[in-house]
Amino acid sequence: MLLVLILIPLLAALCVPVLPKKHVYGAAMLGTLGALALGVFMFAFNGIDWLAITGDAYTDRVSWMPRIGLQLSVGVDQVSGALVLLSLLLGPITVACSKTAITERVRTYYGWLLVLQSAMIGVFVARDVVMFYIAFEFTLIPMFVLISIFGGSNRKAAAIKFFLYTFTGSVIALAGLLYVAWYYATKISPPSVGGAGTWTFDLETLKSAARQMPAEQQWWVFLALMLGFAVKVPLFPLHTWLPLAHTEAPTAGSVVLAGVLLKLGTYAIYAIAVPMSPGAAVAFAPVVAVLAIIGFVLIGLVCWVQTDVKKLVAYSSVAHLGVCVLGLFALNPTGLKGGLLYMINHGLSTGALFLLIGMIYERFHTRNMNELGGLARRMPVWASFMVFFAMASVGLPGLNGFVSEFMCLLGAWQAGGTAWAGLPGGTPGVLGPAYVLIAAVGMVVGAMYTLMMVGKVVFGPLKTPEDEHGHGGGHGGGPGGGHDDPHGHSKLPRDLSAREIGTLLPLAALCLLLGLYPKPLLQAFDHSAQKTHQLVVEAMKQRAAAAGATAAAGTAGTAAGKLEGSGTAGGGADQ
Amino acid sequence: MTDFLPTLLTLASEPVAAQVGPVGFAALKEVSLSAPLAAWLIPGLPMLGAVLAVLMAIGGVKSKLPAWTTVLCLAGSFAVTLWLYLQMRDAGAAYTTVKLFDWISFDYLPGKAFVANFSLYIDQLTCLWMLFVTGLAACIALYASEYMSHDVGPGYCRFFFAFCLFVFSMACLVMGDNLLLLYLGWEGVGLCSYLLIGYFYAKPSAVAAAKKAFIINRIGDLGLALGIMLTFVHFGTIQFAELLPKVEQYVALATSGNLAAVPASVQWIAVLFTLAAFGKSAQLPLYVWLPDAMEGPTPVSALIHAATMVTAGVYLVARTMPLFQCGAVTVPPDAWVLPGLVVPALDIVVWGGALTALLAATIGMAQFDIKRIMAYSTVSQLGFMFVGVGLASSYAGAFHVFTHAFFKATLFLSCGAVMHGFGGQLDLRKLSGVMWMKGWLVVGLAMLVGCLNLAGFPFTAGFFSKDVILAEAFSNPHQRVVAWILLVTAGLTAYYTFRVFFRVFLGPKSFEPGDEAHGHNDAHGHDDRAHDGAGHGHGAKGEHGAKGEHGAKGEHGVGEKGAHGAHDQAFQPHAPGWAINLVLAVLAIGSLVAAYAYPTKWVKGLVEKSSAAAVDLTGSAAHAPATLLGMDPHEIMYYVSAGVGAVGILVAFFLHYLGRKTAATSRADAIKLGALQRGAQHKWYVDEFYDATVRVPLKVLAHVLHFLDKVLVDGLVNLAGLLPRGLGMSLRPSQGGELHGYALAMACGIAVLALVALFSLV
Repeated sequence: MLLVLILIPLLAALCVPVLPKKHVYGAAMLGTLGALALGVFMFAFNGIDWLAITGDAYTDRVSWMPRIGLQLSVGVDQVSGALVLLSLLLGPITVACSKTAITERVRTYYGWLLVLQSAMIGVFVARDVVMFYIAFEFTLIPMFVLISIFGGSNRKAAAIKFFLYTFTGSVIALAGLLYVAWYYATKISPPSVGGAGTWTFDLETLKSAARQMPAEQQWWVFLALMLGFAVKVPLFPLHTWLPLAHTEAPTAGSVVLAGVLLKLGTYAIYAIAVPMSPGAAVAFAPVVAVLAIIGFVLIGLVCWVQTDVKKLVAYSSVAHLGVCVLGLFALNPTGLKGGLLYMINHGLSTGALFLLIGMIYERFHTRNMNELGGLARRMPVWASFMVFFAMASVGLPGLNGFVSEFMCLLGAWQAGGTAWAGLPGGTPGVLGPAYVLIAAVGMVVGAMYTLMMVGKVVFGPLKTPEDEHGHGGGHGGGPGGGHDDPHGHSKLPRDLSAREIGTLLPLAALCLLLGLYPKPLLQAFDHSAQKTHQLVVEAMKQRAAAAGATAAAGTAGTAAGKLEGSGTAGGGADQ
Repeated sequence: MTDFLPTLLTLASEPVAAQVGPVGFAALKEVSLSAPLAAWLIPGLPMLGAVLAVLMAIGGVKSKLPAWTTVLCLAGSFAVTLWLYLQMRDAGAAYTTVKLFDWISFDYLPGKAFVANFSLYIDQLTCLWMLFVTGLAACIALYASEYMSHDVGPGYCRFFFAFCLFVFSMACLVMGDNLLLLYLGWEGVGLCSYLLIGYFYAKPSAVAAAKKAFIINRIGDLGLALGIMLTFVHFGTIQFAELLPKVEQYVALATSGNLAAVPASVQWIAVLFTLAAFGKSAQLPLYVWLPDAMEGPTPVSALIHAATMVTAGVYLVARTMPLFQCGAVTVPPDAWVLPGLVVPALDIVVWGGALTALLAATIGMAQFDIKRIMAYSTVSQLGFMFVGVGLASSYAGAFHVFTHAFFKATLFLSCGAVMHGFGGQLDLRKLSGVMWMKGWLVVGLAMLVGCLNLAGFPFTAGFFSKDVILAEAFSNPHQRVVAWILLVTAGLTAYYTFRVFFRVFLGPKSFEPGDEAHGHNDAHGHDDRAHDGAGHGHGAKGEHGAKGEHGAKGEHGVGEKGAHGAHDQAFQPHAPGWAINLVLAVLAIGSLVAAYAYPTKWVKGLVEKSSAAAVDLTGSAAHAPATLLGMDPHEIMYYVSAGVGAVGILVAFFLHYLGRKTAATSRADAIKLGALQRGAQHKWYVDEFYDATVRVPLKVLAHVLHFLDKVLVDGLVNLAGLLPRGLGMSLRPSQGGELHGYALAMACGIAVLALVALFSLV
């Protein structure tokens, strides 16, 4: 069924080139809505108890080259399911928001948009490395096309930078994954008739294989994977492609980029990098956390001095995902669940912010905050949505952003090492209050830049480029009235159209719902997060045992036996 | 009536401490209400009002309907609060929790849960707070129905939406059974404050003030958020009913004089909460947002920025009093400055409050904008409240919160009526003798009641509540300096309060209408939308913001008026209508009646039957009744503070009433204090100081970071990007194509990397 889900947008994409131009939009809408409908059915109405199941659902395998273990293997658990639903939801929204913005080369545009949709779902449901990697890379090409053809004035450079940067990253990640597969084939798998081991690319097998590697090899694998995935997140200092790509991308591109593509990175960190090498994750957690905090606080400050409103939101993505990564690397259930929830929440609120910015760009053809101001007067509906999503993004309790932000920070504090683990609210971990105290400054910085943006664009005296240049005379104004647009989008009303409101409402509703009742998601993530935490705890025990063994070997052998006894499943410590 | 005064005095001289048996939360028993879920109507009805306001905005309602639904919802909320209070009063020292549904609750380890639900904690302190919050909110909504009437339409809906949402948030703040729901309310009231300060959003100063309020509050919120995390990590719960018993052991340590033995992680909670309280309640060093918040419509100033929201900090201290009692900043014993010093969190609260009270009062003395004077007096009075709770007397703080809510709302609404009627005029040099003008008597009398309360005139509510705080301060041998500071401040307060009253409401009748009318600005906003079809001409108008040309076509039947001319003949003051007069009368009477809560010990009883009652810090046995000049401080304070207040009022009378011939001049003009006067007028340059030391350096830092990000971080990336390009070109110079070259180089790179990864590690 998952394969069908992937195929629906792909089929629509195949239809697009042969359809008459005026039906392309409808076909794209149909394809994305169809996928969404199927997705909702699969996840909500097909009798699967997501709170109870502990493995994957909807598993499916298509053998491809069995001799070397190649196959297409899919499945979803609660985490990937939630992200699939997010991508499916954003599908029709991205199509709808392009209706008036894209009027030329529509076949190319919607075709690639649909391919992108399939590729993103593919990443989340892939259960073997090859399929994962193909889907992961295949998100790049549609995005490259969308930016380089339909983007802004600097689109070529932005597209190339986006492509090369993230491509390089994922290739490094691939190297890491291949190494694990090779390790499995040569060291672990039962020798086949030929003498060499059996190859497999099954993710679950490789994850446990990687955990059996010697510690330092795990480190290298972890570094390779992190390097690849961190570019995608993007984690400071690997983020510089993002503001450029976002600024130049068409609205739908930005929405997908912020909404889903960035989550490929955090998802891969959560679902692959950490389970493969939990020991290395523990070892590197402080470093990653520091980078994440730099992103949250310092990049937040960079947001504050932007003049391009889209660039501001793009930079704010870097800042926000910093918190998400901080939560994930708390490596305890609170932080992991917070980080997972953050992925969904950021997709909703930042996706909506990009939609809103696209709407004013369509009307005024500028994103410069010095040329735009006080739009609340002219577009009260737009302004209301803007304030709403800005507040969701700032992390106002009652809306979605707060729940995940709080959990990420709380998780990082709980993971305060031995000094805090003994307290009733502590958990094992390697971060602690020092990280949180500094990271929390980012909450104030977040309010500073977001309110600066709202204060300039939404509030204040009305200022638009036309008014600046004094050709405001001939405008009829009013709902449905003409807005003489040099680019021919004369159908756009002054305030939002029903279609535009329709793209925002589901996001707003979900922001509110997840802000007030996040429990279903938190419960759904529980099993996965606890499992990951368990891996981490075991890895920490091994580390402690190894450190203890080294220390004991130096002094006396008395404690060594006890420590080794406590270091369960010490298969990896074979130095 | 004859034995009223002696009764008062004996009641007052009763020792505060000497409690026997368990106090605070330990003394409470759990009860259940007769209809528990009905308690949720208290936040629920305002929420309903907010939803209705949104629906009316969508439906394009162009009448006063949103005001009436709001008043009804809030009155309903008040009625439910009253019902709740009666239930709790019968239950005595008791608490109850009412859960609605799960919010953020999850397992952080197998079997260990973080729980923060939509659940209410109700004891008598909750009832006290909610009674005046919902009661005042209903009154002020009625007032606002008239005050905002020039803006009927979408703006009207927006106003009442935020108003209702505020009451909902405030209810969550006060009634939440866990710190996180309190935090939801805490930030929620901040949001509503932001939306309402920035209500006249076309005005840059209003937008700036709103932003400032939100951001400075966020700094405080940061303290609260961190404090909540620390609380959770240390105690494993943030629900009051579970948390407060767990704090008891540490309180026992602290009250036995062994504060240093409390673990640092517990000590810091209260310090972080202090930051939160000082942010929300506008205390040093975070008070600067509140005076600017006066950009909002006056009903908002009265409800949010005087009576309710800004007292949330005091509430937080009272609610978490046990945590504050064992809170401290401890300097590590090996530090090179002040090693081993322990500063109790309550001392920080006391000193922060006292210094803020004095500072704000000095600024208030030198301002000319009557609304700003009231704002500074709010900051100053909040300082008094913090001294009260900081002396571990929740009663002293809460009682002043209670009386202040009434009289300060009265004062603000009176000022608002003046502003509304005189075209936005707020300068006390341009208004005089308002009370004797036709139709203004109710406003004048209400103002007089408010001023008497604020100045601490004997037997007013403000007099009693201020005396409780002063007496508490004087009876604490460690806080004598604070006590004297407060006494001086009380004198200054009496002076600046009556300065306003004598200048604006008494004296010769004369006025200049304001030309920068808040109300008119608003009418303008309404205009714009009403004529939505008129096109871009409005854009240009918007930029004029609040300028006079629009003021002139306000709805007050004002004739042609120049931007600055004092055309008194043409301008007829717009005397308040029934809603404003009614509400002012009710509140004025309320603030007089509130005095009755003192001899009947109503507030005292409520606070002491709640979790906020503090264990006596000095130890009841060792508590020797302190004396001042050989008398009990509570007793002597009546005479001293009445005397100080009288002196303040007399000075104001002499300087601003006696022999004053015009609105603009008075005897006070002859007093020249040089730098002192200038400093106070310029608010001691605190805003400028913050600007120079925080905002500007941050801005510079941000620009530097942006530059580094572009040049250094991205530069390195570009440099790395050049390498494969050079490689690719040297290999296949004929190709040179953009992507192909890159891709090839990349492929080479991959191959190399993969090989390295594959074989070097084996």
